[in-house]
Amino acid sequence: MGNGVRWPATLAVGAAELAVAAAIAAPASAATHLLVISGLGGEESYSTSFHDWSTSLVSSAIASGIPAENVVYLAEDPARDPERIAGEARKETIEATLQTMGAAAGAQGELWLVIFGHGSARGNETTVNLPGPDLSGGELAAILDRLPVEKVVIANASSASADFVRDLSAPGRAIVTATRAVTEKHAPVFGGFFSEGFADNRADVDKDRRVSLLEAFDYARLAVARSFESDGRMATEHPMLDDNGDRNGSLEPKAVGESDGVVASRLFLGAAQTRIASSPELDRLQTKKSELEDRIAQLRAQRASHDEELYLKELETLLLDLARTNEAIDRLAASKEKPG
Amino acid sequence: MTLASRAWVALAALVVGALSSLACGAQAGAQDPAAEAEEHLGAGRYDEAVAAFTAKVDDEPDSVEARLGWAAALSAIGRYPDAAEGLSKFLDSHPDARGVRLALGRTLAELGRYDDARRALEAEVEARGSDRLAVQALLGELALDAGDRAGAEARFDALIDAYNDGSARTAADLEAVAIACRHLGAEDPQLFKDALKAFDEAIAADPRAVEPRVALSELFLEKYNGTEARGEAVAALALNPRHAGAMLALARVLHFEGAYEAMDAVQRALEVNPNLVAARVFTAQLLLELEDYEQAEKEARAALGVNPRSLDAQAILAAARYLQGDEPGFRAIEREVLAANPRAADFYNVLGDACVRNRLYRQAVEFGQRAAEVEPTSWRGWGLVGLNQLRVGEMEAGRTNLERAFTGDPYNVWFKNTLDLVDKFQGFGSHRSKRFEVVARNDEDDLLAPYALALAEEAYDALARRYGIEPATPIRLELYPSHADFSVRTIGLAGMGALGVCFGKVIAQDSPRARPQGHFNWGSTLWHELAHTFTLAVSEHRVPRWLTEGLSVLEERRARPGWGDDLSPLFLAAWRDGELLPVGDLNNGFVRPNSPEQIGISYYQASLVVELIERDWGKETILGMLRGYRDHQSTEEILRGQLGIELATFDQRFEAFLEESFGGAKRALGPAEATSEEGGGEGSIELPDAADLEAAARKLDNFPAQLSWAIHLVGEKRANEAEPFLVRARDLYPQYVGPDSPYLLLARIYRDRGDNEDAARQLREYLAINETDYEARLELATIEQELGDRAAAVRPLEDAIYVFPLDPELHRRMADLYQAGGDTAGLVRARAALVALEPTDMAQALYDLAEAQLAAGQPQDARRQVLRALEIAPSFDAAQRLLLKLHAGGSDSGAKEQP
Repeated sequence: MGNGVRWPATLAVGAAELAVAAAIAAPASAATHLLVISGLGGEESYSTSFHDWSTSLVSSAIASGIPAENVVYLAEDPARDPERIAGEARKETIEATLQTMGAAAGAQGELWLVIFGHGSARGNETTVNLPGPDLSGGELAAILDRLPVEKVVIANASSASADFVRDLSAPGRAIVTATRAVTEKHAPVFGGFFSEGFADNRADVDKDRRVSLLEAFDYARLAVARSFESDGRMATEHPMLDDNGDRNGSLEPKAVGESDGVVASRLFLGAAQTRIASSPELDRLQTKKSELEDRIAQLRAQRASHDEELYLKELETLLLDLARTNEAIDRLAASKEKPG
Repeated sequence: MTLASRAWVALAALVVGALSSLACGAQAGAQDPAAEAEEHLGAGRYDEAVAAFTAKVDDEPDSVEARLGWAAALSAIGRYPDAAEGLSKFLDSHPDARGVRLALGRTLAELGRYDDARRALEAEVEARGSDRLAVQALLGELALDAGDRAGAEARFDALIDAYNDGSARTAADLEAVAIACRHLGAEDPQLFKDALKAFDEAIAADPRAVEPRVALSELFLEKYNGTEARGEAVAALALNPRHAGAMLALARVLHFEGAYEAMDAVQRALEVNPNLVAARVFTAQLLLELEDYEQAEKEARAALGVNPRSLDAQAILAAARYLQGDEPGFRAIEREVLAANPRAADFYNVLGDACVRNRLYRQAVEFGQRAAEVEPTSWRGWGLVGLNQLRVGEMEAGRTNLERAFTGDPYNVWFKNTLDLVDKFQGFGSHRSKRFEVVARNDEDDLLAPYALALAEEAYDALARRYGIEPATPIRLELYPSHADFSVRTIGLAGMGALGVCFGKVIAQDSPRARPQGHFNWGSTLWHELAHTFTLAVSEHRVPRWLTEGLSVLEERRARPGWGDDLSPLFLAAWRDGELLPVGDLNNGFVRPNSPEQIGISYYQASLVVELIERDWGKETILGMLRGYRDHQSTEEILRGQLGIELATFDQRFEAFLEESFGGAKRALGPAEATSEEGGGEGSIELPDAADLEAAARKLDNFPAQLSWAIHLVGEKRANEAEPFLVRARDLYPQYVGPDSPYLLLARIYRDRGDNEDAARQLREYLAINETDYEARLELATIEQELGDRAAAVRPLEDAIYVFPLDPELHRRMADLYQAGGDTAGLVRARAALVALEPTDMAQALYDLAEAQLAAGQPQDARRQVLRALEIAPSFDAAQRLLLKLHAGGSDSGAKEQP
C-alpha cells in the first residue's frame, strides 16, 4: 500500500484570490500531513456520506496547498473509489500509516487525523467502528505517543466520540469530537459540515483566505445547531474542542486567553498563502501591513475598556491605513507581473 | 383558607378519629352500630351516617361520641343549624361534656355566629379539655376574622409552644399547629415550611384523616403549586369520594389547571353540601369570570344566606357589584366588612383577583395597594400590585413590589417564576418606534424588531381609524422565544396554550422561535393582540371576551389575505351538529369550553358574529356595543339598544348568515360520521374506507368523497384522473386549506405538467386563506419567479417572514429579488435580517449589508457596517475596498493617514 493518494492535480482558486494571483503563491506545505479515515457505514447512505465528506476534505486540503503525497485516505471499501482511497481503514493499516506520516512530518511538522464514521462506547472505552477490530481512543493515544511529531490534530466526527478528548488530550494536540457525551449515539451530521467548512474556504470568517481548525469547528458547530433547530428536533450532538491539554473539551471555544480555541485558531489545513516580497518597497509594505494587523488585534482586545465612538474612530483609522497598504501591495505586485 | 370553609370538615375529623379509636378498642365488627355509623361517615354515605347516628343518639342520649358523630354527619351535608341546635341542647343537659363546645363553636362559626362561637370555645378553654389545641386554633382564626391579629398571634404562638414541648400529639393537635404555622407564615415565611411539616405529621398520625389533606391542598394552591395541590386533593377523595371539602379542593385545582370541568366539580360538592359557603363563593368566582354577574351575585347571596359574615362571600358580592358599575353598592359592602375587620386585606385581594380575571389590571393594582395598606403583611396584596404593574408596563415598580411580596412569601411559585422571568429581561434587547417598544431576546431582537415595529405601527394606524381612538403609548410588545416564559408572563406558570396575550399597554406573545415552523403566524398574532388594545380602550376594559376575540380575529382577516382563523371542518361539523353556542352564551366557549376544540370554534364563531353585525348594522354599531359594555350594559341590553333585536332573534339571523355564507360547504361535508372529531386549526378530514372510495366518489356533492378518491388517484400516479375530483372538492368547500387541500394537490399536478400559470393560481388562492404554510409560500415565489414576475415572487416571501423568519435562505432569496428589482430599501432590510441571524460568516454578511446601504444612499450606515465587517476580518479585501470607496465619497471618519 502506498501512502500517497493519487489525486487530480487541480488547485481550486477562489475568486478572491484572482485579483492578486500573481503575487500569491500556494507553495507545497511539506510539514502538514493529513490522514482521512472513513469508517464502517453500516448502511449505504452512511457509507456514501462518509465517503463524500472524506473526498471533499481531501480535495480541500490539496487545494489549500498540502502536497497530494502528504494526504492519505483510508476507507471501509477501497473498491468504492480506487483512484482516491489508498487502502482499507483497518486498525493495523491506520497504525502503520500514522507511523509513516508521523515520521515524515517530524518534530516540526503537523499531523492531521480526521475520522468520519460511527462510534460506540462500552464501559470506559470509546471506539470508532472499522472493518475488523475497532480502534479505541486509548489505542490511538498509544500510537500517537510513539510518533515524533509534536503538533497533532485529531478530529473524530463519529458518534459517541466525546471521550476521545479524555483519551487523547495532551499539550500540542487539538482534539475535536462530534459529541459532548458518549450517550450522544445518533449518527452525527457534524462531519459533513466540518468537511464543508474547508471547501472553498467557506469557514474563513476572518477572510485571510484560509481556514483554521477553530473556524472549521465553529462553522460546523453552528451548522449542526441550525440543522436541528430548522428540523424542529432536539439536538442530539454537541461538538467539542480541546486544545489546551486539560482533558476538558469546550463547546464554544474562543481564541482568547488560555482557553480552548487559541491553539486551534493557529492551526490551518494547508499552507498560508503568503505574498512574496520581491522588492524593498513590497517588503516595507508587508512589514507595515503586519504591524497594522497587530495594532488592530491589540485594539480589539481592549475594546471593552474603550468608549464606543473613540474605539470606532481609532479602528477606522487603522483599517483605512491597512486598506491603503494592501491596495499599494496589490498595485505593486500587479505592476511586477505586467509583461515588459 | 377561611374559617367558614373548614369548620365542619375538622369536626368530621374529630368525630371520625374519636370513633375510630373507640371502634378499635371494642374490636368492632360489621354489626357494631358505632363502627357502622363511623364507616358511613368516613365513606361519605352521609344519609346513612345521619340515620345511624340518629339511632345511636336515640339509644344513648347521654353519649358524647354519639352526639358528636350525629353533628358531624349533619354538618357534612350542610345542616349546620340543626347540628348547632342539637349540640346546644346537649350542652344544656350535659354542661361538663368534653369536646362538644369545640364542635358547637365550629358549627356556629360556619353560620357566621362568631360571638357565640367564641363564647363556646372560651368555655372549652376554661374546661381545659384534651382538644384545647384545636380550640386555640379556631379562636385564633376567629380573632383574625375580627382583625385582631395580635390576639390571633398570641394563640398561634401558644400552639407552636405546644408542639415544641411535645404536647401536640394527636392528628387534631398537629393540624391545629399546622393552621397556626400557616397563619404565622405571613410574618415569618419559614413557618410555611413548618405548616407543611405539621400537616404531614397530622396525616402520619391519622392516615385516614381527610381534612389535613384538604388543608394541605389549599396551602399548595395558595402557593401556585398545582401539582402538589392536586396530589393532596386526589388523596383526600380516595379516602372519601363524597367529601365536599375535598371535592371543592379538586375543583379549585382543576380551575387552576384551566380545565373546563371545574364548574362541574364544584357543583358536585354543592350537591353533597349545598351550604358549603366556600363552594358557593368559588362558584360565584367562576361565574364572574364568565362575566355572568347576575348569577355570580346570586351565588354570593346564597353563601351569605348561610354565613352572613363570610368575608369571602362579601368580597365576591362586592366584586360583582363593582364589575357591574355599582360603586355605591360596592362601597356599602366595603364599609360593612371593614367595620367587622379593619384589616380585611383579603376582601381587597378577592376584588383584585376578580378585576384581573376581567382584564381590569389597573384596578387590580389599586385593590392590591388597598390590601397592603390595611394589612402590610398581605403578601398576596403586594403580589397583586407587583404582577399587575408588570402587566400595565410599570416594570420597575412592578418588580420592586413583587420582590417585596416574594420576600414575605418566598414559597409562592407565581412570584418566583415571574421574578425569574424579569431577571431574564437582562438578556433581552429593546427597540423603539414612534408608538411601540419591542422587547425580544438578544439573539433575535435585531431580526424581529424591525418587522414587529413596522407591523405594529401599521396596525395602530389602521385600528385607530377604525375604532376612532388612539390608545396611550408607548405600547410594549414582548416576544418570547420560550413558550414557557410567555406562559409565566401570563399566568405565572408554564403550560398555557395561547399564543399571545394583551394587557392593554403591554402585549406578550410567542416569538417565531417558540414553536415549530408552520405552527402559527406571529404577525397575525401581533395584530390580533393589538386589536385587543383598541377594543379594551374603547370599552375601558369592559368588553366581554367573546366580542374582543371576535373583533381581533376579524381585524386579522382585514390585515392581510389569509390571516385569521379559517372555516375549519371542526367549525362546520359543530354547526352542522347544532353545537355552536348561542351568542348569549358565547363567552362560555372561551372561559368554560366543554372541550379544547370549542375554544377554536368559538374564536371563529365570534369573528363571524361581529362580521354579521358590521355588515348589517354598520361599523358604528360595533363601536356602540363597545361603549355599551363600557357603560355596564348587558349583552341583551346592547343587542336591543344598538341592534334593535332580541338575543333569540339575533341567533336566527346569525344562522341565516352562516347558511348564506357557508351552507354549501356544510352540506358538502356530509353527515356526522364522515367528519373527524379530532384535529384543530385548519383541521383535517377523516377519509372514508379505501375500498368504497370510488363508489363514494359518485356522490358529486360530497367533499370528503371527492377529495379522498382524488388523493387515492394521486397516490397511484393517476394525476389526470384525479384533477376533476380535486376541482370538484375545491369548489364544494373552497375554504378548506388543511394539509391535504385540493389547492395544494392541484398546484402539484399543474406544476408537474409544466403549467405554472395554473399552479400559481391554485397556490395564490390557497395562501389567500392559509396563514401558516411556509413551504407553499416559497413554492409560489419560485413559480412566480419562473413566470418572470419578480414583484409577485417577492410577495409570498414577505408573507413568509411572519410564518418563519429564521431561515437565512428566505432572506437571501428576498435580497436577490430586491437587488434585481432595484428595491434598495428592501435589499437593506433583507441583508440586515441576514446579519441579525448571526451567520457563521458574519464579516461577509456585514459587508453585504454595507453595500446595500451604500446603494440605498445611507453611506454613514454603510461605513459603520463595513467597519464591523473589518473588525472581524481585517484582511477582508472587498470590505477594505468598500471602506476606501466610502472615504473617497466623503464619508466623515476623521481618518487621514496615508500609507
